[in-house]
Amino acid sequence: MNAPAPRSRKRPQMIAAALVVGTAAMLGLSFASAPLYRAFCAATGFGGTPRTNLAGAPSPGERVLTVRFDANVARDLPWRFEPEVAKISLRTGETKTVYYKVANLSDRETSGQAAYNVTPGQAGAFFVKVACFCFEEKRLGPHEAEEWPVVFYLDPALEREEGMRGVREITLSYTFFAIKDSTAAKTSETAIAKPKG
Amino acid sequence: MASSTMAGAHDHPRGLRRFLFSTNHKDIGTLYIILGSIGGVIGFLLSLGMRLELAYPGVQIFPGLAEALQGADPSMALDAGKNLYNVFITVHGVLMIFFMAMPILIGGFGNWFVPIMIGAPDMAFPRLNNISFWLLFASLVLAVISMFVEGAPGMKGFGGGWTFYPPLSSNTGSPGPAMDFVILALHLAGASSILGAINFITTIFNMRAPGMTLHKMPLFVWSMLVTAFLLLLVLPVLAGCVTMLLTDRNFGTMFYDPAGGGDPLLFQHLLWFFGHPEVYIVILPGFGIISQIVSTFSKKPVFGYLGMAYAMVSIGVLGSIVWAHHMYTVGMSLNAQRYFTLATMVIAVPTGIKIFSWIATMWGGSISFRAPMVWAIGFIFVFTMGGITGVVLANASADKQFHEGYYVVAHFHYTLSLGAVFALYAGFYYWFPKMTGYMYSETLAKANFWLLFIGVNVVFFPQHFLGLGGMPRRYIDYPDAYALWNLVSSSGMIFVTLSLIVWFYAIIEAFMKKRLAGANPWGVGATTLEWTLSSPPPFHQFQVLPRITGASR
Repeated sequence: MNAPAPRSRKRPQMIAAALVVGTAAMLGLSFASAPLYRAFCAATGFGGTPRTNLAGAPSPGERVLTVRFDANVARDLPWRFEPEVAKISLRTGETKTVYYKVANLSDRETSGQAAYNVTPGQAGAFFVKVACFCFEEKRLGPHEAEEWPVVFYLDPALEREEGMRGVREITLSYTFFAIKDSTAAKTSETAIAKPKG
Repeated sequence: MASSTMAGAHDHPRGLRRFLFSTNHKDIGTLYIILGSIGGVIGFLLSLGMRLELAYPGVQIFPGLAEALQGADPSMALDAGKNLYNVFITVHGVLMIFFMAMPILIGGFGNWFVPIMIGAPDMAFPRLNNISFWLLFASLVLAVISMFVEGAPGMKGFGGGWTFYPPLSSNTGSPGPAMDFVILALHLAGASSILGAINFITTIFNMRAPGMTLHKMPLFVWSMLVTAFLLLLVLPVLAGCVTMLLTDRNFGTMFYDPAGGGDPLLFQHLLWFFGHPEVYIVILPGFGIISQIVSTFSKKPVFGYLGMAYAMVSIGVLGSIVWAHHMYTVGMSLNAQRYFTLATMVIAVPTGIKIFSWIATMWGGSISFRAPMVWAIGFIFVFTMGGITGVVLANASADKQFHEGYYVVAHFHYTLSLGAVFALYAGFYYWFPKMTGYMYSETLAKANFWLLFIGVNVVFFPQHFLGLGGMPRRYIDYPDAYALWNLVSSSGMIFVTLSLIVWFYAIIEAFMKKRLAGANPWGVGATTLEWTLSSPPPFHQFQVLPRITGASR
């Protein structure tokens, strides 16, 4: 009878090629996920990421919150690092500068980079940093001591956020990590550091 | 040889060549089933070791095992034994997922029956099929080698659990090469599955017999189609995830190291973006098998065929967007927890559609309780149990209590160790006559069922109580308060061990007695195309393509 030509079917190689492209795209996405997520957090303050580079001075708000300061140094960085005050009271919309005291305890030049975060996580969207030492790599000569400022304010928009209603205290936390350029640099560094004790 | 070159790709090689260089979907399927059985037996022996150890409080057998298996120094035997226990739980998980369930369900039954059920002569890319299998074999070798090289300092093997979280799996926790072996094993297993998935999708889209529309395909083929798409979607993410771990370990990158701006949580997100769909990759082919069997032995078409097919599609889609319910304790925002709780519980809807449709298929059917049907009903029972505890665990508030505890262990073993394995046995006893041409002893098959059914329930049901009582998983020892139910749980392994012996005996007996099965041993209910062929099917089937007209499902 009428044997219709099988419905116009794509050649198997075409289907396979499309599937390979899809696979490669998922592989690429897995590597892109970290930068994408970081960009998302920086843009929205998701997950306790303080916001930066917001244009315009804030209008003064009404609520007063406590801001605590936390400072940590990773084991492999010979620094002392502490805030000038443990906590402050701050009205929303008020810009504040707080200094951190930092000192290199070793006999050589060392450099570090601070990672930072605020808790509780939902406060990140309303914690705005105008300037911060944590935006760049920091270098300290042997036994050098410095004071580094962080300039920030609390966005008054938090007063309208339901999730912030019960939050009376926000903690800003820093951890300084030693800069590691590569494993080769790291191993040579530890190799040098060890004999000195 | 001269004559066989004339025959080209359609010759029929014998002996070693037949299997080593095989491009035949049935032979490759057989190889997969054999490999999966070996992986499963090793994985079972590892779990036997764990249950023997946990039968009583205290550390009894693993120090000796470490001395015997890994040549540990007697003075270090206690620590080496604790490490070996962790290695056992890790390798048990990896083997059971990647080298037992996936090879048998996807590589084995999928290769065997997807082409036949859609009326195709073979898979779309037969050589690719061969590569897939041997990649998996190489992967298994790497995974086993990892147990015998250094992992944690001074210890052999990687013991950080099958989820490989850094820093346990980074240079901090496991500087030795064991973890590198595991990573490369995962790479090969992933590549094998991706190639296999491409092959399945192309075969199903391109090689259906005339008249076999997508909406007439048997549900097992539907399940393999959804599974293959899930594999393509998530295995590249696993590959990326462990590649980043590999470069972190060996090439100084900082993907998961906060000291360099990385984040160990990234690993958990990527791993579970793969890991959660993975459990559906394992269970969906089981759903397909159960649908075929329930329909065959109820002598009715499956109730709600389209609903069943699209329930699997929606399980696949939903299963891909709920991964963070494995990570409720990492400090997610409340809104994220709300979303993942809700989305996870929604999966119960398509799963419920499947369960109720199986029951509705049986309802009013002329049921014959042959061995595959008994296994299938056992599957529905245990999988429903696992599904219910899954809904409990979907709640973030409850899960934070049960996280990393035995309630979770009981839950996922009810869905996988019982669910997937019962589906696997059901499929094995359903298709064994077709694959070998011989009928097994019905009595032995049912003895196998009852021993395993009693065994696994005795093993895993008490683990719910242990979990509710607060017993954490992944420890070699526990306080005396947990002694009673641990002893009950361990005693269940007696039945499980016996059931495996009966299974082996059933296979040997079938091959010795050589009771011919005939083309269709299951009668009028068996309507799919594999039952129109002889048992075993010819080396190349469907030289003339079958033409599908009616609504044969």
